[in-house]
This record gives sequence, C-alpha cells and structure tokens, in this order.
Amino acid sequence: MNHDATDRFKELACDYLRRRMGRRQFLAMAAELGFSAAVLSRLIRPARAALLDSSPDAPYESPISPERVAFLKTKPYRGTTINVMVLKATVGDGLKYHVPHWEAETGGKVNVAEVPIETLHTQIFSDLTSGLGRYDAYMTGAWFYGDFFQPQDPYIVALDRFLSDPRHPYWEPDQWLPAMKTLYTWQGKLYGVLFDGDAQALYYRKDVFTNPDVQAKFKAKTGYDLPAPPKTMKQMHDLADFFTGWDWNQDGSKDWGISLHAKVNEQGFFHFLTLAGPYVISPENKYFFFNPDTMKPLINSEGHVRALEDYVKFVSNGPQEQISWTLGQGWNLFLAGHAVMEPTWGDLPTLAQDPKESKVAGKIGACPIPGTTEAFNPILGQWKTYDLNQVGNTNGGSWHCVISRFSKKQDATYDFLAFMANRKNAFFNCSNGWTGVQPGMRYEYLPPAGTSSIAEWQAQGWNTADTAEYLHAYYQELSMPVQEEHLRIPGTAEYWHELDVNVSSVLAGQTKPKAALDATAAAWETITERYGRSAQKALYQASFKT
Amino acid sequence: MAAARISRGQYGARLKYVLLLPAVVWVVAFTFLPLVSVIRYSFAAYVLGRGITGYVGLANYIEVVNSARFWHSIMVTAIYVAVSVPVEVALGFLMAWLVHLGPPGTRTFRTIIGAPLFTMEVAIGYLGVTMFSSQGGLIAVLLAKIGIDIPWLSSAWGGLAAAIVLDIWRWTSFMFLIVLAGLGSITTELYDAAILDAKNHWQVMWRLAVPLAWPVTSIAILLRTIESLKVFAIPFALTTGGPGTSTEVFSATDYLTTIQFFDFGKGSAMGIVFLIMVSAVITVFFRQMRRRLG
Amino acid sequence: MTNVLWVRASMWSRLIVYVLLIGAAAWTLMPFAWAIVNSVKTLADTFQAGAIIPFVDFTPTLKSWDEVLSDPQVVRAFVSSIVVSAGTTVFVLLLGVPAAYSLARFEFPIDSNDITLWFLSQRVLPPAVVLVPFYLLMVQFRLIDTWTGLIFCYSTFNLAFAVVIMRDIFRDVSTEIEDAAKVEGASAWQVFWMIALPLSLDGLVVTSVLVFAFSWNEALFASALTSQDAMTFSALVLASRSTRGVDFNIASVNTLIGIIPPVILYFFVQRYLARGLSFGAVKG
Repeated sequence: MNHDATDRFKELACDYLRRRMGRRQFLAMAAELGFSAAVLSRLIRPARAALLDSSPDAPYESPISPERVAFLKTKPYRGTTINVMVLKATVGDGLKYHVPHWEAETGGKVNVAEVPIETLHTQIFSDLTSGLGRYDAYMTGAWFYGDFFQPQDPYIVALDRFLSDPRHPYWEPDQWLPAMKTLYTWQGKLYGVLFDGDAQALYYRKDVFTNPDVQAKFKAKTGYDLPAPPKTMKQMHDLADFFTGWDWNQDGSKDWGISLHAKVNEQGFFHFLTLAGPYVISPENKYFFFNPDTMKPLINSEGHVRALEDYVKFVSNGPQEQISWTLGQGWNLFLAGHAVMEPTWGDLPTLAQDPKESKVAGKIGACPIPGTTEAFNPILGQWKTYDLNQVGNTNGGSWHCVISRFSKKQDATYDFLAFMANRKNAFFNCSNGWTGVQPGMRYEYLPPAGTSSIAEWQAQGWNTADTAEYLHAYYQELSMPVQEEHLRIPGTAEYWHELDVNVSSVLAGQTKPKAALDATAAAWETITERYGRSAQKALYQASFKT
Repeated sequence: MAAARISRGQYGARLKYVLLLPAVVWVVAFTFLPLVSVIRYSFAAYVLGRGITGYVGLANYIEVVNSARFWHSIMVTAIYVAVSVPVEVALGFLMAWLVHLGPPGTRTFRTIIGAPLFTMEVAIGYLGVTMFSSQGGLIAVLLAKIGIDIPWLSSAWGGLAAAIVLDIWRWTSFMFLIVLAGLGSITTELYDAAILDAKNHWQVMWRLAVPLAWPVTSIAILLRTIESLKVFAIPFALTTGGPGTSTEVFSATDYLTTIQFFDFGKGSAMGIVFLIMVSAVITVFFRQMRRRLG
Repeated sequence: MTNVLWVRASMWSRLIVYVLLIGAAAWTLMPFAWAIVNSVKTLADTFQAGAIIPFVDFTPTLKSWDEVLSDPQVVRAFVSSIVVSAGTTVFVLLLGVPAAYSLARFEFPIDSNDITLWFLSQRVLPPAVVLVPFYLLMVQFRLIDTWTGLIFCYSTFNLAFAVVIMRDIFRDVSTEIEDAAKVEGASAWQVFWMIALPLSLDGLVVTSVLVFAFSWNEALFASALTSQDAMTFSALVLASRSTRGVDFNIASVNTLIGIIPPVILYFFVQRYLARGLSFGAVKG
C-alpha cells in the first residue's frame, strides 16, 4: 500500500461518512485502490432505516421495516404461486394458519401439501432426486440436513442473500438460543427459517410432588426428601417406582410413575436418546453416536449399555402397552392425570392448558432432564464421577422450512417463510399449542432470560404458574453448556431406525440391552460403509463446526 | 374339454392373437421393464442424493441372504400366511354354505358378511390400535367380561395375533364371495339326489358341496395365498413391525429398506430373492391344482 | 338358488344355522360399530379408556365428521378414487377379457396353462419392490400425480388377476351355442362378442367388483405417486396421522366414508353373484 493510496482512501472515507458518496461507490473505489471490498463491506453495514413497531398496511408483522411497508404496497407477489410441503397437523396446521395473512399482504398464493410424518423424508427426497422440483419449500426435520448436502450442489439454498434485504419480513436470527440456531445452519451458513424449536424436558405433577402427605410417604419409603424437581437419574427412578401402583390422584384407579411411548417409527426412540445423554455426554465428551476419528459407532459403549439397562426399568413404571403406543397415547396418560412424570416435548404443557384435552392445567412442574453422578467417556473408555452431570438436548424434529434449489420463486418463498418468523407471528406460534411450535428465541422467554412477559403468554390462554415453570425449564434445557449432539449426517433416519427397532425389542423383553446395542452398532457399520466411511466422517466432523 | 377347444385352422387363427396380444404387450411393458430395473438395482449400490455409485456384483444378494432380519421377516410372513389363510378358507366356506342354504334374510347376511372386503386395510389397522388397546379398547373390554386378558399390543406374539385376527376379519369375505358364487352353480337335482343319500346337512356339505366347489375354491385359495404373502398394510398400520421386529412381515422390511432408507440395491435384491422363493412355491401349487382338476 | 336344503332342514338344524349366521354377522359388524363410535368422539376422547357407549361413557359430537366433510381435499380425494377405480376396471376389462377368452378357447404354441401361470406370477412381487421402478417410469412419462398414471399402474397389477379369473369362467361357458353359431357361419369375433360375452356376464361382474375393490383400497402406490392433484382417498386415509400418531377419530370417519362407494356397487351387483359361476366345475 503506497502513501498515495492511503491518502486517497482517507479522502474517500471522509466523503462517504459525510454522505457525499454512496456505500457501493465507496466500496468500488476503495477496491480499485486495493482495499478488500469483502472486509470493508463487513465493517460498513448498509444504513437501515429504523424499524417501525407496526404498520396498518401489514397488521400481522411487528416489528416491520419501512422498506417492507413500501414493498408491500406494490403487492409484489401477485400472480406468483408457491408450493410448500409440510407435515400433516400440528406444525403443518401452524403454517397453514399464516397462509391467508401472507397472501392478503403480498398478493401471492401458497399451495400447501400435507404429508404424514413417516413419509415426509421419502416425499422430500423423491421430489428432489427426481429433479421434478415441484415444491419450492419443504418442511424438514433437523436430522434430514445431512441428506440435503449429499450431492455436489446442495439441495437447499443458503439464506444470506435474503437476510440482508430489508424488503423481506424482519426476523432476528441473532435472538436464537445458540443450541437451537445450530440446527438451522450447516457449516456456518443459515439454511432454515425459524419455525419450531424442539427439546425434551421433564414434566411432572407439581401439585402431587408438593403435597405434604405424599412427601411424608416418600421420605418414609426412601429415607430422603422428595426431590422436586429431581436432579439425578437415581432420583427420577425412585420417584417413578414410588408413584407406580397406587391411587395418588384419588380417582379410583391405580396410577403410574411415568408415561412413555415406544411404537416403532413414531419417534419413541427419542426418549432413550434423551435419557441416555447424561450417561455418555459430559464436559469431557461431546460424542454420543460416533467416534469422529474412525467413524466407528459408540452406541454400544458401557455407558450406553448402562443407560439402556436403566431405561428399561421405566417400562414397569407405566402400562405395559406403552411399548406400542403412539406419541398422542403417551401424552394422554399424563394429561388425563394418571402419570406423574413424562419426559417429552413442549407440546405437553401447551396441550395441558386446553380443558378439552387435559385435567392438569395449572399443575405442571417442569425441569431439565435429570443428570447423572457418573458418566462414561466412550472415546477414552473410562468412567468419571461428577457432582451432577446434566446435559441439555435439542432432541426432536425442530420442524422448519428450507428452500429448494430447484425453486424458481426463491424470493417469494423466502418472503413467506420470513413472514412466519417475524416476531409477532413467531410468538403466536410458540404460545398456541395446536401449532406444535416451541420457543427458540430470547424474546419469547421471560426475564431474566428473555424479554417477554407473563401477560403476553396469558393473553394466549396460558396459566401463569405453568408458563413460568415451562419456560424456565425449557430455557435451561436449551442453554445448558453441555449439550447432547443432534445427529445430522446422511442416513440419520436409517441409523435411528435401527436403534429404534433394537430398543423396542429390549422393551418387549425379546433381547438383552448389550446384545441389542451390539446389533445396532453392527447395523450402523453396514450403513456407514454403504454411504462411504470417509464421506460420513467428514460430514460428521463438519456438523460439529457451527 | 376336447370339444371346447378349437383346433388350429382358419377359424380364429388371427383373432386369437389379436385378442391376446394387447394384454400380453401391456404386461410385458409394464412389468418386464420395471423388473429389469429392479434386477439392475439389485446389482448396484445406491445412495440417496448420489444415485448409483457403482455395481457390486452379488454383494447385495449375499448381504440379504446373510441378514437375520430378512429371514426373520420371511418367518413372520410364513406364520402369518399359514395361520390366516386356512382359517379364512374354512370360515369363508362355512359362511358361504350357510348363506347358500337360503334361510330368510339371506340377502342381508350376504351383504353384511361380504362388506369387509371393501374396507381399506390401512384404516382397519388404525382401527385396530384402539380396538385392541388394553386401556379400554373394545376387545379388551369384551374379553374382560369373560375373564380373559390377552396382551395384544404389549407383547411380541400378541401383536402378530392381533394383526392375524384383523386379517381374518377382512379377508374371509373374499373367500366367502367366491365360494358363494361357486356354490350357486350346483343344480337342484344334485341336491335332491344328495339329500336322499345323506343323513344330515353336514354330510351334504362334505360329500357334495366341497368337491363341486373345489375348482372355485382352489383358485381362490391360490389367489389369496399369493396376496397374503405380500401382506403389508394391516400389520404395518397396527404396530409398524414392532415391538422390536416381531410383526415385521417381508413387505414391511422391504418397504423400510427401499422407500424409507432409499437403499434400492439391497431392497431390490431382497425382492428378487423373495420372487424366486414364492414363484417356486406357487408353480408347485398351481401344477398340483391343475392335476387334480384333470 | 335353491331352497331345497332349507325346506328339508329340521328345526334344530335351522336354529344352528341362524345362530352361526348371526354370530358371523355380529363379528363382521363389530369393527364397523367401533368405527362409528370412534367417529363421534373428539381426539381426546379416543384416548379415554373405557369410552365405549355414546352418551353413557362420553358425549358424542359430530365435529370429526364436520372436519372431514368440510375439507375440500377430502372431496377431491374421493372423486379421484372413484375415477381411478372405475378407470382401472374399464381398462382391465378392455384388455383382459379378450385375452382371457383367447386363452380359454384357442391353442397357442405355448401351453395356455403356462401363459396363465406367467400372468399369475406377475402378482407375486410385493408392491414395495416395484414401487421405485414404477415411480421412475411415471416420472419419465410425466405421469406423477395424475389419474392416468395411477390407472396405468393399477391396471398392470389387476390385469393378471382378471385374466386368470375370466379364463376359467370362459372355459366353463357352454360351447354348444358357440358351435352352433360357427356352423351358421359366424366369425370368431362375432362368437366372442355376441355369444361368449353375454353368457359370461356374471363372471364379468364378479371380476369388475373385485378389481374395483382392489383399486379402491390400494394405498401404497397412491401415496407414493400422487400428492395434490390426484391423491386418492386411500392415500388420504394413510395420512390420517399427525405428528402425535394416528388421529383415531379422523381415521374412523375416513374408514366409514371410504367404504360407501364399493358397498353401494356391491349391493347393486349382488344378484349377479348369486346366479352362480362354476369355474369349470360343471361340464355340459
């Protein structure tokens, strides 16, 4: 850099700062002098007009940018139709709710195709591999990501170029809780637009746990005070055992310590993943599924085996038939008041608010999944004791939409997705149970974690006590420093199905835990070979880089 | 039968091909080509998103033949077919005979008993989930009244039993309809003759109806067996192959491998192995049947 | 139909017959009753243990019915199913009946029994195995999500079935009339068209009903090959699932709606079934 260039640059900078020159021009001329435009453009953000709180032209967006208000006046997408594939019910319904609002605002049209959960993956990838590209956006589960990045040209589109355009609805990727944001990105780039944020937490009957008679009985039986909430797995097991087989809710029939569901292909295996996390994940080890250096499965390590042995004990704390239950059937046992605990998604407390669905509104306690006092490091092959090793998780679909590379209407598609991610709509989603959406943004949580308020939640029909419990526990779950990894390599659905079937077989008493996990590991090896070990390894390692 | 055959000559020499060929051409086009495609995939390694990554010779077949899960699914299918088909045949025949006797209200009975054939198997499977549920499902409640408690959905063999029960419910009507049609052709004179001979109705049924309806029944048995080997919807909707793999029939294993996991190579090889096995069985079956009819 | 046996039966025999028939009818109706009960429940009620008798165990509601019937997608799917099933039946008859007649009446270089066996073997492959090639074929012909595509697929599956059944029916049809017509100078085509077909009407009806029923109920290919425009009702039933598992109340409503057209068809053609077919049992 010679002296003349530096002087000239200073002149340009003065002109720009005094608004005598536009940003683009400045960058171009600086580039001619040899200054990296890329670096400069990062330093100099385009001046954005201040955000408005709302606008009468766009009643469903808040906050909203003036550029957007102007943009909408032109009915920009009149004549454009976009096709979106979504999950049938819950999150699909949530999406459908916003369709007429967006259509009215922008003049566009949205065709929604609803697909049942177990064929979603198939339908998405049949469409993509056939090259027909009949859909502009797909609602995807977080664990499908690996498959999107299989081909040379990924099947989905990164969002950078849309995010900087102020004419699209405003939403705040920076407000995301980091654990959740990871699921929407791949190797540092954002691909998904906010919708759902899943994590599993433990929900329990607060009214029962705080009942003095019950507490006395518990102490008499176990010798220590009833832990509300339970912090360790041992406490959770003791509670489950204690509450099984007698009528603690005084309705005339014997009740249960826990509710689970384990029908194959129905996401039942997430219970195992969640409850096994603390046995293997720790501050010293973040790998649950594979060894990142060899891509060999870790699923049959000592820690995993012990986790499964303990998990099986829960089966006798609930009706035997729960091994064939669907998710809804599992939830119902808790909502009808017959089970005292359930580790599951945030749909449970949300559904509990609806008097048609539940008898337990106002009685919900929530806490992060209990941890362990001893965890196994499968890489080093040794146990280590802790005071308390609690692990957060993002287990679940975290269903959200991604944009297809084959779409010819990517702008309009992004516009619709961002519309639903706008703060006002996002808050509506996460506070209305039927949408199946859980909070992932800071502004949805109560202080000190976030910036929402009890009043906002109450306005959507929530019981005050339940709200506070739920949000607090959920936030903790998502923001714990030690997090269980979410598998996002190609073939995840297949790997998990093998685990699902083998765990189910243990629950039914057909196989022993060690044998089942060994079989799972062997099956996983075959799958890894088929996809190509080195390719899988590279993608596995990459999925940890946020 | 010789009188029915037209010997080669001018009559119908060309027409017979004209009549036959469209169907043959269609079947060849639409089954031959896909079959070739399946065979091709069975020798390939296919990965979602990357397509066929290479040809691996017999590797897929070896993997299938060594797969415990494959053989387990064959066993489950075999049990399923071996139990459900004979029961359906027996019950279907019995009901057809009873309706055929012509008691008042025959038409109503005929409609009711034939109705299940028109239900969707998937829907029946879903219906079964709550019907067999031990938490107040219809069957559980009814059985409890006579003191029986069967763990339909909470045990491995219970799931299979429940699926078989549903299958019997739905498919007996198939046998019923066909046998009924067959019985209808037996003329009154034959009955009169038989009644003079026999001591009671059951003898008439055994000595007369069964043999005369055998051609009908045997075709129906053959068709039903072939269909039953492909069973999919009922066990899949009821328990999705679980608990574990206790109700995973062959079609379910293949469906999961091919459709859910996009492992076309292994799924196709599985299908070919299955095709060879079943074809052998039905060829033997068919030849036996033809021999008995003369 | 003969009442001879009934008329000659003893009181005791009649009683047993009735008891068995009523038992069979009750057994058949039970799942339908359960479907009806479930269709007037809300989803929450379907999870309720012991909710069996309406008004006694739970409050029935028509909400589930309303939800299903007011969904335009349901109506569309229903129409699709009718079109596809009817189309398949017609197409199968068009191709299969002549072929069956040909196999029944004429000699070929290959034994017609073997040709029949070949047709039969087409039904052996489980649909899951051929789904992928069919899917790719439909993609190539741009027939995905169209009625035509589905009709082509279903026709392929059911053609074999129709040929096998109709062949035996034709073999049974008496050839005396045909021989007489031949003597009169009728051509082979005339014999087929004006004599054999009408005589085999009962068989045609049975085959049509069975092909219609199979097409109506097929769910796997329908859900794989269609999604919006041509989705059939059975594919819709397969989709009576939400992320929380099966919506039992919706599935029940769907079951009941789904059974209506085939049963109506069946009701109207019953008398043909009654007249009897012998499949070659009675000669001459």
